Amino acid sequence: MADKKQIAVIGLGTFGYNIAKVLSQKKCEVLAIDKDEERIREISNIITHAVQADATEERTLQALGIKKMDIVIVGIGTGMEASILVTLLLKEMGVKRIVAKALNSLHGKILRKVGADKIIFPERDMALRLAEGLISPNILDQIELSPYYSIVEIHAPQSFIGKTIREIDIRAKYGVTVIAIKKKQPIVTKSGETDFKEIVNISPQPEDEISEGASLVVLGKIETITKLKKD
Amino acid sequence: MKDKKEKFNKNEDNLEQELIELGKFYFLNQKYDQAIKEFQEALKINSNNPQIYYNLGITYEAKNMIEQASKMYRQTLELKSDHVYAKEHLDKLVGI
Repeated sequence: MADKKQIAVIGLGTFGYNIAKVLSQKKCEVLAIDKDEERIREISNIITHAVQADATEERTLQALGIKKMDIVIVGIGTGMEASILVTLLLKEMGVKRIVAKALNSLHGKILRKVGADKIIFPERDMALRLAEGLISPNILDQIELSPYYSIVEIHAPQSFIGKTIREIDIRAKYGVTVIAIKKKQPIVTKSGETDFKEIVNISPQPEDEISEGASLVVLGKIETITKLKKD
Repeated sequence: MKDKKEKFNKNEDNLEQELIELGKFYFLNQKYDQAIKEFQEALKINSNNPQIYYNLGITYEAKNMIEQASKMYRQTLELKSDHVYAKEHLDKLVGI
Protein backbone atom coordinates (compact mmCIF):
# COMPACT_ATOMS: atom_id res chain seq x y z
CA MET A 1 0.00 0.00 0.00
CA ALA A 2 2.76 2.40 0.96
CA ASP A 3 4.44 2.43 -2.45
CA LYS A 4 1.18 2.86 -4.34
CA LYS A 5 0.62 6.39 -5.57
CA GLN A 6 -2.41 7.98 -3.99
CA ILE A 7 -4.30 10.23 -6.37
CA ALA A 8 -7.59 12.03 -5.99
CA VAL A 9 -9.73 13.03 -8.94
CA ILE A 10 -12.33 15.73 -8.35
CA GLY A 11 -15.07 16.01 -10.96
CA LEU A 12 -16.01 12.95 -12.98
CA GLY A 13 -16.89 14.26 -16.41
CA THR A 14 -15.49 12.43 -19.41
CA PHE A 15 -12.04 13.79 -18.57
CA GLY A 16 -12.03 12.97 -14.87
CA TYR A 17 -13.69 9.60 -15.39
CA ASN A 18 -11.09 8.44 -17.88
CA ILE A 19 -8.14 9.73 -15.88
CA ALA A 20 -9.43 7.93 -12.78
CA LYS A 21 -9.98 4.75 -14.75
CA VAL A 22 -6.53 4.68 -16.36
CA LEU A 23 -4.74 5.56 -13.10
CA SER A 24 -6.58 2.76 -11.39
CA GLN A 25 -5.58 0.33 -14.15
CA LYS A 26 -2.01 1.49 -13.63
CA LYS A 27 -2.26 0.34 -10.01
CA CYS A 28 -2.63 3.73 -8.36
CA GLU A 29 -4.90 4.13 -5.40
CA VAL A 30 -7.59 6.46 -6.69
CA LEU A 31 -10.13 8.50 -4.76
CA ALA A 32 -12.84 9.94 -6.99
CA ILE A 33 -15.14 12.73 -5.87
CA ASP A 34 -18.21 14.09 -7.63
CA LYS A 35 -21.50 15.70 -6.68
CA ASP A 36 -23.46 13.43 -8.98
CA GLU A 37 -24.58 10.15 -7.45
CA GLU A 38 -25.02 8.49 -10.82
CA ARG A 39 -21.41 9.14 -11.85
CA ILE A 40 -20.10 7.84 -8.54
CA ARG A 41 -22.11 4.67 -8.94
CA GLU A 42 -20.77 4.23 -12.46
CA ILE A 43 -17.15 4.44 -11.43
CA SER A 44 -17.36 2.75 -8.04
CA ASN A 45 -16.68 -0.76 -9.31
CA ILE A 46 -13.53 0.11 -11.21
CA ILE A 47 -11.66 2.28 -8.72
CA THR A 48 -10.62 2.05 -5.07
CA HIS A 49 -12.79 4.74 -3.50
CA ALA A 50 -15.61 6.79 -4.97
CA VAL A 51 -17.36 9.38 -2.85
CA GLN A 52 -20.37 11.53 -3.56
CA ALA A 53 -19.55 14.91 -2.05
CA ASP A 54 -19.33 18.62 -2.72
CA ALA A 55 -15.64 19.38 -3.14
CA THR A 56 -16.14 23.11 -2.74
CA GLU A 57 -16.64 22.56 0.99
CA GLU A 58 -13.40 22.64 2.91
CA ARG A 59 -14.67 20.36 5.67
CA THR A 60 -15.57 17.69 3.18
CA LEU A 61 -12.13 17.76 1.64
CA GLN A 62 -10.52 17.55 5.06
CA ALA A 63 -12.71 14.65 6.12
CA LEU A 64 -11.69 12.76 2.99
CA GLY A 65 -8.01 13.13 3.82
CA ILE A 66 -7.20 14.99 0.62
CA LYS A 67 -4.12 16.49 2.24
CA LYS A 68 -2.35 13.15 2.32
CA MET A 69 -2.74 12.51 -1.41
CA ASP A 70 0.33 12.56 -3.64
CA ILE A 71 -1.53 14.29 -6.44
CA VAL A 72 -4.97 15.86 -6.71
CA ILE A 73 -6.48 16.33 -10.16
CA VAL A 74 -9.19 18.97 -10.52
CA GLY A 75 -11.23 17.88 -13.49
CA ILE A 76 -14.33 19.99 -12.86
CA GLY A 77 -15.62 21.05 -16.23
CA THR A 78 -19.03 22.52 -15.55
CA GLY A 79 -18.08 25.78 -13.90
CA MET A 80 -14.91 27.84 -13.69
CA GLU A 81 -15.93 29.13 -10.30
CA ALA A 82 -16.05 25.70 -8.69
CA SER A 83 -12.78 24.63 -10.26
CA ILE A 84 -10.99 27.79 -9.04
CA LEU A 85 -12.47 27.52 -5.56
CA VAL A 86 -11.48 23.87 -5.19
CA THR A 87 -7.94 24.55 -6.44
CA LEU A 88 -7.59 27.37 -3.92
CA LEU A 89 -8.85 25.20 -1.07
CA LEU A 90 -6.47 22.40 -2.00
CA LYS A 91 -3.54 24.80 -2.06
CA GLU A 92 -4.45 26.24 1.33
CA MET A 93 -4.71 22.76 2.77
CA GLY A 94 -1.17 22.08 1.62
CA VAL A 95 -1.75 19.44 -1.06
CA LYS A 96 1.61 18.40 -2.53
CA ARG A 97 0.73 18.58 -6.20
CA ILE A 98 -2.37 19.99 -7.86
CA VAL A 99 -3.15 19.38 -11.51
CA ALA A 100 -6.08 21.39 -12.84
CA LYS A 101 -8.00 21.36 -16.07
CA ALA A 102 -8.58 24.76 -17.68
CA LEU A 103 -11.43 25.60 -19.99
CA ASN A 104 -9.64 28.55 -21.59
CA SER A 105 -6.47 30.59 -21.20
CA LEU A 106 -7.95 33.08 -18.72
CA HIS A 107 -9.16 30.22 -16.56
CA GLY A 108 -5.66 28.75 -16.85
CA LYS A 109 -4.08 31.99 -15.64
CA ILE A 110 -6.34 32.13 -12.61
CA LEU A 111 -5.67 28.50 -11.75
CA ARG A 112 -1.95 29.22 -11.87
CA LYS A 113 -2.40 32.22 -9.55
CA VAL A 114 -4.39 30.27 -7.00
CA GLY A 115 -1.72 27.60 -6.84
CA ALA A 116 -2.18 24.83 -9.41
CA ASP A 117 1.18 23.15 -10.11
CA LYS A 118 0.21 22.02 -13.56
CA ILE A 119 -2.51 23.28 -15.85
CA ILE A 120 -3.83 21.33 -18.76
CA PHE A 121 -5.94 22.52 -21.67
CA PRO A 122 -7.42 19.30 -23.06
CA GLU A 123 -9.54 20.96 -25.72
CA ARG A 124 -6.84 23.27 -27.00
CA ASP A 125 -4.19 20.53 -26.97
CA MET A 126 -6.46 18.07 -28.70
CA ALA A 127 -7.39 20.63 -31.33
CA LEU A 128 -3.72 21.30 -32.10
CA ARG A 129 -3.01 17.59 -32.37
CA LEU A 130 -6.01 16.97 -34.55
CA ALA A 131 -5.13 19.86 -36.85
CA GLU A 132 -1.59 18.57 -37.21
CA GLY A 133 -2.88 15.06 -37.83
CA LEU A 134 -5.32 16.18 -40.50
CA ILE A 135 -2.74 18.18 -42.41
CA SER A 136 -0.16 15.40 -42.31
CA PRO A 137 -1.84 12.01 -41.97
CA ASN A 138 1.54 10.33 -41.61
CA ILE A 139 2.01 11.87 -38.20
CA LEU A 140 0.70 9.52 -35.55
CA ASP A 141 1.61 11.47 -32.47
CA GLN A 142 3.54 14.55 -31.54
CA ILE A 143 5.09 16.03 -28.43
CA GLU A 144 6.23 19.60 -28.72
CA LEU A 145 9.43 20.22 -26.81
CA SER A 146 9.82 23.87 -27.78
CA PRO A 147 8.43 26.04 -30.58
CA TYR A 148 11.16 24.60 -32.82
CA TYR A 149 11.74 21.05 -31.64
CA SER A 150 9.36 18.12 -31.46
CA ILE A 151 9.25 14.40 -30.85
CA VAL A 152 7.10 12.92 -33.58
CA GLU A 153 5.90 9.45 -34.41
CA ILE A 154 5.62 8.87 -38.16
CA HIS A 155 5.03 5.94 -40.47
CA ALA A 156 8.40 4.92 -41.88
CA PRO A 157 8.71 6.40 -45.39
CA GLN A 158 8.60 3.77 -48.14
CA SER A 159 12.18 4.55 -49.14
CA PHE A 160 13.43 3.48 -45.69
CA ILE A 161 11.95 -0.02 -45.70
CA GLY A 162 14.47 -2.83 -45.53
CA LYS A 163 17.37 -0.51 -44.76
CA THR A 164 19.29 0.08 -41.57
CA ILE A 165 19.53 3.42 -39.80
CA ARG A 166 23.17 3.63 -40.86
CA GLU A 167 22.36 2.95 -44.51
CA ILE A 168 19.73 5.65 -44.60
CA ASP A 169 22.04 8.00 -42.70
CA ILE A 170 19.03 9.64 -41.14
CA ARG A 171 20.83 12.06 -38.88
CA ALA A 172 23.16 13.43 -41.54
CA LYS A 173 20.53 13.55 -44.27
CA TYR A 174 17.51 14.77 -42.34
CA GLY A 175 18.97 16.19 -39.15
CA VAL A 176 16.70 14.11 -36.92
CA THR A 177 17.48 11.41 -34.40
CA VAL A 178 15.53 8.16 -34.32
CA ILE A 179 14.76 7.45 -30.67
CA ALA A 180 12.57 4.40 -31.23
CA ILE A 181 11.43 2.02 -33.94
CA LYS A 182 8.02 0.43 -33.52
CA LYS A 183 7.57 -2.64 -35.64
CA LYS A 184 4.64 -4.93 -36.13
CA GLN A 185 5.23 -8.59 -35.40
CA PRO A 186 2.64 -10.96 -36.94
CA ILE A 187 1.32 -13.51 -34.45
CA VAL A 188 -1.37 -16.15 -34.09
CA THR A 189 -3.58 -15.57 -31.06
CA LYS A 190 -4.77 -18.25 -28.65
CA SER A 191 -8.07 -18.44 -30.53
CA GLY A 192 -6.20 -19.10 -33.79
CA GLU A 193 -6.80 -15.67 -35.28
CA THR A 194 -4.01 -13.80 -37.03
CA ASP A 195 -2.99 -10.55 -35.42
CA PHE A 196 0.14 -8.55 -34.78
CA LYS A 197 1.78 -7.07 -31.75
CA GLU A 198 3.83 -3.95 -31.62
CA ILE A 199 7.47 -4.33 -30.62
CA VAL A 200 9.19 -1.14 -29.54
CA ASN A 201 12.92 -0.87 -30.02
CA ILE A 202 13.98 2.08 -27.92
CA SER A 203 17.26 3.80 -28.72
CA PRO A 204 17.94 1.61 -31.77
CA GLN A 205 21.41 0.69 -32.98
CA PRO A 206 22.76 1.96 -36.33
CA GLU A 207 22.54 -1.56 -37.74
CA ASP A 208 18.88 -2.04 -36.80
CA GLU A 209 16.70 -2.48 -39.84
CA ILE A 210 13.43 -0.70 -40.53
CA SER A 211 10.87 -3.29 -41.54
CA GLU A 212 7.72 -2.85 -43.57
CA GLY A 213 4.88 -1.27 -41.62
CA ALA A 214 7.22 0.17 -38.97
CA SER A 215 6.82 3.58 -37.42
CA LEU A 216 9.62 5.78 -36.24
CA VAL A 217 9.73 8.05 -33.23
CA VAL A 218 12.06 10.86 -34.17
CA LEU A 219 13.39 13.92 -32.41
CA GLY A 220 14.33 17.01 -34.34
CA LYS A 221 13.50 20.43 -35.67
CA ILE A 222 9.91 20.67 -36.82
CA GLU A 223 10.87 21.86 -40.30
CA THR A 224 13.29 18.99 -40.86
CA ILE A 225 10.74 16.45 -39.68
CA THR A 226 8.34 17.90 -42.25
CA LYS A 227 10.94 17.14 -44.90
CA LEU A 228 11.27 13.57 -43.66
CA LYS A 229 7.52 13.01 -43.85
CA LYS A 230 7.44 13.91 -47.50
CA ASP A 231 10.07 11.35 -48.50
CA MET B 1 1.88 -23.92 -54.64
CA LYS B 2 0.29 -24.27 -58.05
CA ASP B 3 0.00 -28.02 -57.55
CA LYS B 4 -1.81 -27.48 -54.32
CA LYS B 5 -4.31 -25.16 -55.93
CA GLU B 6 -4.99 -27.63 -58.75
CA LYS B 7 -5.39 -30.46 -56.33
CA PHE B 8 -8.24 -28.69 -54.62
CA ASN B 9 -9.74 -27.21 -57.72
CA LYS B 10 -12.74 -29.50 -57.69
CA ASN B 11 -13.57 -28.65 -54.16
CA GLU B 12 -14.05 -24.92 -53.83
CA ASP B 13 -14.62 -24.98 -50.09
CA ASN B 14 -11.29 -26.59 -49.58
CA LEU B 15 -9.56 -24.29 -52.02
CA GLU B 16 -10.95 -21.26 -50.23
CA GLN B 17 -9.64 -22.49 -46.87
CA GLU B 18 -6.37 -23.48 -48.45
CA LEU B 19 -5.89 -20.00 -49.91
CA ILE B 20 -6.68 -18.41 -46.57
CA GLU B 21 -4.16 -20.65 -44.82
CA LEU B 22 -1.58 -19.85 -47.47
CA GLY B 23 -2.28 -16.14 -47.06
CA LYS B 24 -1.89 -16.46 -43.28
CA PHE B 25 1.38 -18.30 -43.80
CA TYR B 26 2.72 -15.45 -45.94
CA PHE B 27 1.39 -12.90 -43.43
CA LEU B 28 3.17 -14.61 -40.55
CA ASN B 29 6.37 -14.55 -42.57
CA GLN B 30 5.86 -10.87 -43.24
CA LYS B 31 5.38 -11.44 -46.98
CA TYR B 32 2.47 -9.05 -46.97
CA ASP B 33 2.06 -8.54 -50.73
CA GLN B 34 1.89 -12.28 -51.34
CA ALA B 35 -0.54 -12.67 -48.47
CA ILE B 36 -2.83 -10.04 -50.01
CA LYS B 37 -2.79 -11.89 -53.35
CA GLU B 38 -3.88 -15.15 -51.73
CA PHE B 39 -6.63 -13.49 -49.71
CA GLN B 40 -7.92 -11.76 -52.82
CA GLU B 41 -7.99 -15.09 -54.66
CA ALA B 42 -9.99 -16.52 -51.78
CA LEU B 43 -12.42 -13.60 -52.06
CA LYS B 44 -13.08 -14.50 -55.70
CA ILE B 45 -14.39 -17.86 -54.52
CA ASN B 46 -16.37 -16.54 -51.60
CA SER B 47 -16.99 -12.84 -51.14
CA ASN B 48 -19.08 -13.40 -48.01
CA ASN B 49 -16.46 -14.80 -45.69
CA PRO B 50 -15.63 -12.32 -42.89
CA GLN B 51 -12.44 -14.21 -42.11
CA ILE B 52 -10.94 -13.22 -45.46
CA TYR B 53 -11.81 -9.55 -45.01
CA TYR B 54 -10.35 -9.56 -41.50
CA ASN B 55 -7.11 -11.11 -42.72
CA LEU B 56 -6.88 -8.59 -45.55
CA GLY B 57 -7.45 -5.84 -42.99
CA ILE B 58 -4.71 -7.02 -40.69
CA THR B 59 -2.30 -7.39 -43.62
CA TYR B 60 -3.05 -3.89 -44.92
CA GLU B 61 -2.62 -2.51 -41.42
CA ALA B 62 0.71 -4.30 -41.08
CA LYS B 63 1.76 -2.45 -44.24
CA ASN B 64 0.50 0.86 -42.79
CA MET B 65 -2.19 1.05 -45.47
CA ILE B 66 -4.65 2.44 -43.00
CA GLU B 67 -7.53 3.39 -45.29
CA GLN B 68 -7.67 0.00 -46.97
CA ALA B 69 -7.36 -1.70 -43.58
CA SER B 70 -10.32 0.27 -42.15
CA LYS B 71 -12.40 -0.62 -45.19
CA MET B 72 -11.69 -4.32 -44.74
CA TYR B 73 -12.47 -4.26 -41.01
CA ARG B 74 -15.79 -2.55 -41.81
CA GLN B 75 -16.60 -5.26 -44.35
CA THR B 76 -15.73 -7.91 -41.74
CA LEU B 77 -18.11 -6.34 -39.25
CA GLU B 78 -20.86 -6.06 -41.84
CA LEU B 79 -20.72 -9.81 -42.28
CA LYS B 80 -20.01 -10.67 -38.66
CA SER B 81 -20.90 -7.84 -36.30
CA ASP B 82 -19.38 -9.57 -33.24
CA HIS B 83 -15.91 -10.05 -34.73
CA VAL B 84 -13.94 -8.90 -31.69
CA TYR B 85 -10.57 -8.50 -33.38
CA ALA B 86 -11.93 -6.52 -36.34
CA LYS B 87 -13.77 -4.25 -33.94
CA GLU B 88 -10.69 -3.66 -31.79
CA HIS B 89 -8.52 -2.84 -34.76
CA LEU B 90 -11.11 -0.59 -36.38
CA ASP B 91 -11.67 1.29 -33.12
CA LYS B 92 -7.96 1.86 -32.84
CA LEU B 93 -7.65 3.09 -36.42
CA VAL B 94 -10.66 5.37 -36.22
CA GLY B 95 -9.36 6.65 -32.91
CA ILE B 96 -12.17 5.74 -30.52
